[in-house]
Amino acid sequence: MKRRTFIQGMAATPFALAAPRAVSTASADAAPLDIAAVYSLSGTFANVGALMNDGSKWAFEHYGDVLGRKLNYVLVDDRGDAGEAVRRVQELMTQNNVKHVIGCTNSAIGLAVQKEVFARGGVYINQAGADEVTGKDCNRASFRWPVASYSAVNATVRPLIEQFPNAKRWYTITGQYVFGDSLLTNCKALFKEKGVEHVGNSYHSLSDREYSGYIATALAASPDVLAICNFGNQTLDVVRQAISYGVKRNAKILAIWSTGLDQYQALGPENCEGVYFGCNFWHGVDSADGRTIGDIVKQKTGNVPNYLQACGFAVAQVLIEGIRKANSVEPAAVISALEGMTYEGPTGTETIRKEDHQVIKPYYLMLGKAKSAMKDANDFADVISATKAFLPPDQTGCKMT
Amino acid sequence: MSAQLLLFQVLNGLGIGMIYFLLSVGLTLIFGLMRFVNFAHGAFYLVAAYLAFAITQATGSFWWALLIAPIAVGLLALVVERILLRHTYKMAHEVQILITFGVALFAQEAVIFAFGPQAQNVPMPAALSGIVFLGPYVYPAYRLAVVGCVAVIAILLWIVVERTKLGATLRAGSENTEMVSLLGINVDRVFMITFALGGALAGLAGVLAAPIRGVEPFMSAEALGIAFVVVVVGGLGTLSGALLGGLLIGFVQSIMSTLWPQGAQLMIYAAMAIVILTRPAGLMGRA
Repeated sequence: MKRRTFIQGMAATPFALAAPRAVSTASADAAPLDIAAVYSLSGTFANVGALMNDGSKWAFEHYGDVLGRKLNYVLVDDRGDAGEAVRRVQELMTQNNVKHVIGCTNSAIGLAVQKEVFARGGVYINQAGADEVTGKDCNRASFRWPVASYSAVNATVRPLIEQFPNAKRWYTITGQYVFGDSLLTNCKALFKEKGVEHVGNSYHSLSDREYSGYIATALAASPDVLAICNFGNQTLDVVRQAISYGVKRNAKILAIWSTGLDQYQALGPENCEGVYFGCNFWHGVDSADGRTIGDIVKQKTGNVPNYLQACGFAVAQVLIEGIRKANSVEPAAVISALEGMTYEGPTGTETIRKEDHQVIKPYYLMLGKAKSAMKDANDFADVISATKAFLPPDQTGCKMT
Repeated sequence: MSAQLLLFQVLNGLGIGMIYFLLSVGLTLIFGLMRFVNFAHGAFYLVAAYLAFAITQATGSFWWALLIAPIAVGLLALVVERILLRHTYKMAHEVQILITFGVALFAQEAVIFAFGPQAQNVPMPAALSGIVFLGPYVYPAYRLAVVGCVAVIAILLWIVVERTKLGATLRAGSENTEMVSLLGINVDRVFMITFALGGALAGLAGVLAAPIRGVEPFMSAEALGIAFVVVVVGGLGTLSGALLGGLLIGFVQSIMSTLWPQGAQLMIYAAMAIVILTRPAGLMGRA
């Protein structure tokens, strides 16, 4: 019984994460289990990849072994290149017989790797944000921990529209790639549904660092809300530059997808105040697993966990607990075990939806607070709402293969 | 695009262009005199930006960072030049590129080691954190101050290069190093001073840019890319070329942000390609 930390009900106790070590049955004779972790440790999103990599590594250290086999962390640095990620994963799966893969730093990489892992009979737990991951490009091998862009938009834009019915004019600034486009598409659909005017959108490339021209264009459209459809450092730059151009005087700023604490720290309280952020994880939301991750991160860094660390931890955790539940490392058995699994995750009780392999969990809308209102150095924002907003399975476009 | 918005984008482009000028002027000075391709230029920008972060954190004042960081990075450039780079002056450009690229990677990793991979914030000085009104548009007071500061630096550099003995030596050195050496001028020392000055200017750009863009360990690549574009557009080794190139790229980027947002970054490189095709030596360069 103790092996199964995912038995429904039992998982809600703090023992859920303590159990794996306590019941460790590692045998000196069993061969280590190689698990590949795909992260970008250089390139545009390297700051994201490095922290996710930390989270995943710490999960491996925390669990130590699974089914008597030592967990062996095989890092794949894709250098921000989806092609490189696929080549390296292909190499590991064909030459080293690796069957278990976790991680990705952006959606383009996640989508590419999930096709590859599926084609080679493995199992893949990732944190890509684009809808396609559990939508039209879904497959049986792949599972996603964070919410999809549909959920992020509906858990942030929708409550803001409802909270501020007079904010009728929305402008978007969008990173032109899979994930940015995915957020924008969902925004447009929601604007249409709610009768909100989309007064303009500025696409920008992934290599942009100067956004003043886009912000000037946005200001010329006199929006009530400026929504940012992107993630990573570019989101920070847009927020920072929008504030310096006085956008907050007449409009609200919403970063639909943020990575939470690390980005608030990077912006500083003076740039967070009054800005709305969407976020997958917040250390201030209490949960058993969240406390376990908090203890680990505190021990490693002396600080509280941020989303990237929690997310890296979560994808590793899902895979390991899936293996435990399956009582087998065979991908087919693990996949079957993961489908419909309920467990205690970083945001509380989380469930993996069988139909599209999406983890059902809340997404937070947060509002940055003034420096004077911060209770401690990490108290940058208040949680305004926590919403589980997911497309019904029959509308995701996922045809499980 | 309305005429009003166009006018604002031109003004905004002026601000961007002045920052790009400051970013590239050190690079063009170093190449102009020394014929040295410095891929570590972005690293000096990076290190200065992080020094600005550290000094602002420690003292609570951006002004100390503005004073100390460019000088510190100028000294760092001097040390790097003395210990490493001066041995490569007579080597092929490929060697210089490889070595300075190595220096850049080392600086990047050192920054990650010291400060971590996450981005950090450098708050704007309180006195410049507001906005100024330009008709119906607003412009950040800090950016306006940066434009003014860079304009002063551009004038000072012009005076140094065109009106002083050091400037005459620099200009002569860029034409014929051996002849300058035969005239009894210590070219080695001139090279050292030029490299330190180039590093300090990159450092100044890093400090001034930090409150606008924040700091993160990979910021040097973007800075280096822009600096090379500006230098190529303006003409390698010319001060006026760096200014003209910086402004042109700033205007293109700002105006295209409205006309064709998704292609704004692309148009920077398209502008460079057009200049290379029509004036291979750059706008102000000599063939």
